[in-house]
This record gives sequence, structure tokens and C-alpha cells, in this order.
Amino acid sequence: MSDDTILPDDPGRDPDMMAAELALGLLDGDERATALRRMLAEPGFAQDVDMWRARFGDWFAAWPDASPSAAVWARVDRSLDAPRVPQADAVLRPNRWWPAATAVASAIAAVLLAIVVLRPAPPQPVPAPAPVASAPLPTAPATMLVAAIDPGEKGPPVSAVYDPATAGLRVSAATLADANQSAELWIIGADGTPHSLGLLRTTGASTFTVTAANRAQIAAGATLAVSLEAVGGSPTGQPLGPVIATGKLSQV
Amino acid sequence: MTDQRPPLPPETADISAARARLVEMLLRTGDEDRAAFRDLYQLTSAKLFGITFRICGERQAAEDVLHDVYLTIWKRAGAYEPSRASPITWLATIARNRAIDWRRAQATRRTSHLDDIPPLADSTPLASETMIVDQDARQLHTCLETLEQRQREAIRTAFFDGVTYAELAEQQNVPLGTMKSWVRRGMLKLKECLQR
Repeated sequence: MSDDTILPDDPGRDPDMMAAELALGLLDGDERATALRRMLAEPGFAQDVDMWRARFGDWFAAWPDASPSAAVWARVDRSLDAPRVPQADAVLRPNRWWPAATAVASAIAAVLLAIVVLRPAPPQPVPAPAPVASAPLPTAPATMLVAAIDPGEKGPPVSAVYDPATAGLRVSAATLADANQSAELWIIGADGTPHSLGLLRTTGASTFTVTAANRAQIAAGATLAVSLEAVGGSPTGQPLGPVIATGKLSQV
Repeated sequence: MTDQRPPLPPETADISAARARLVEMLLRTGDEDRAAFRDLYQLTSAKLFGITFRICGERQAAEDVLHDVYLTIWKRAGAYEPSRASPITWLATIARNRAIDWRRAQATRRTSHLDDIPPLADSTPLASETMIVDQDARQLHTCLETLEQRQREAIRTAFFDGVTYAELAEQQNVPLGTMKSWVRRGMLKLKECLQR
């Protein structure tokens, strides 16, 4: 065991326990930023973090109680009466009733998935003569890309279609956030960093025109992710809320 | 998970009933039912205040954070999913994270950190750990016992005090890399034990 600072992914020394470290709150600075990026880019990592949170959560039973002063409830109660932003979509809540639109979205996603899964493999291109210097990066798209963004138990996969000719990205209707939150869409491409594409609408399909900077991230193999943010989206340019759905882009 | 287990002993059945009640209150809170929210506060505020008080280390700040925690719960209850987390874990995690945010903001605001952070309210809170009847929690406890003491203590301190690696290393007066190594190896062992 050395006294040097040990990098989180230094092989052969410490095991990679970043999911547990994030769940426990041990990380700060760059390490925390790396862990949050992995939450978005690696569904398995996000599941591990959930698992550790639940495991450590069992420990709360051992936490000693303490009595707050009665004034706290009075303050909380008063705060609820403070004027709030009107809630137009208050009836739309996740995971309760799925409107008919969702069934349509689901059918579209199923068709897209079938196209992606059943499509015969393209003929192997002649190997490029140039040597590959590093790990292969996602390939730049010449054709349409699709993704099935899977929200797990919150509902069926949501389909996303990207047309490189118009730089248009269309995400089918889905209710992923309630009225008190916004569902924000992110692309994680070759640079491994989430870039915001915008907020998903609470009703109907969402369409985005992808900016030139974000277009560089869009490629087969890149990940689309949805996080739950405060209404209006993350103010920081990086996801702050939980990632609730992810899907990889594939060529059609 | 629970539905495949043999009949529950009475004390566990009580816990299940209490949990079911909390779930219902949380779901009703998500529908903006203020009476349910008030009941939820009465049932859970002592636990959540215990968390914010210990991590913040001072009463006034802990009450301010608690206020903020319940407003967060009111706003986010609609997104609570019973299948993903037990209600108390969901609530307590919000309280713990908010208290940690407060504590770290304090530490950043002051130039020198550790010496200025208020002392912890209580450094040995875990007497009740042996009385935990929940099966999963008991497994966590059993598995922690298999770790080296310094690993166990570091993980425990991180959880109950909400501290970072840097703070742990300074408290224990060991190099940062050493502390990371202890904790990572401890957590790997813990994971292997929990998966058995």
C-alpha cells in the first residue's frame, strides 16, 4: 500500500468502487464529476449506485432520532402557502396511468427496435489502411440514427430518431417528468461528457434542431440520456438530477 | 422480494405495516394531500432531524436544512416509486444529501476547513444497531463485521458524518491514498459478502 495518491481507475491496485464511493458521498471535485458522468454514460454503473444507496439505506435504521423544535413544522406549513408557479400539467404523473399516446410511442419504438435488431449486418467494408491509434470512436453518421431510450420501470422505451440531413432529432411522446420537474435530454458522445440537447415536452413528441457543437457528439454508439431536473432544466449545463432513461444510437 | 419469504415474525410484520403506511403517506403527499404530508412529517421528522443535526452539527442550521428537506419532499413526492426504494431510505437520503450539501458549502466558504466545522453532535450513535430486525439491514451489519476495523470505521464515519475521503484522511491522520485504499478494499469485501 503506497502513500501516493491513487487514481480511481489505476488497474491492479485498488478495486473500482466508484459507485459505492458516490453513493456514500466520499468523492469531491474531479472525482465526483467523473462519477456523475459515469452515471449518465454507463447504465450498469447507475444501477450499482442505486444498489449501494439501497444497501447503505438500511443503515438509516441505526441513526438516532432527535426532536426538532415545533417551529420547524410551522415554517414548512407556511412555505406551502407561498405563491407558486401555476402547474399546467399537474395531472400528468409518471408511472400511474399511461395514456394512449404512450402505447403509440411504444409501438413506434418496437418497430424501430425490430429494424435495428433484425436488419441484416452490412457487408464488411474493406479495412482502412491507416493504423488505428486508439480505441475506436463512435462513427460519424451518414444515415439516420435511432435509439430506444429505456426508462426501465417507468414505462416502455421512448424512440428517438436523428436525421443528419436536417440535424433534426425527434423524440416520441413520453411522460417522464411530473409537473414539478423537467426531463432534460443529453447526448454523451466521443468526449464522454453530457451535452444538453434541451427539455422534453410533457405532452406530445419533442423535436430539436441539434446545434453544430452538439452535432459532433451525435454518432452511432453515442448515448442519449434523460435526467430529471428542476423545472426549466439544469442551470449548470451538467445534469444534477437522477438519470431515468438511457439508450444508444444505432444506424438504421 | 418480501413476497417470497416465509411468514414474517411479529416484529418484522410491524415494520412492514409501518413501511406500507409511510408509502401511502408519501404517495398521497405526491398528490398534494396536505393532511398526509403533515402525518408524514410527524412520523419521520425525528429521524430526519437526527440526520441533519448530526451532519450539520448545530441545531439552528440543522433545523433550516430540515425545513428545506420537507419542502423538497413535498415537491418531489410525486416522483417517489415504491418499487425502487423503501420510503424511509428515500426520505433519509434527501435529508442526508441536503445536510452534506450544507456542510460542504460551509467548508468551502471558510478557508481552513476541518478545524472550523462544528463538532459532531454525537460520535457513538450506533448502540441500536444490534436491535435492527430488518433482514437486509442485519446482513449489512454482519458483513461489516467481516471487515478490518479501520475499514469498517472509515465506511461508518463516511456514512454517519457525511465526510469525504479528504476529511477522513485528515481525521485519521493518514495519507489520502492510504485512506482510499482502505475504503475501496473494504467496500469490495463488503460487496462480495452482501452478494452471498
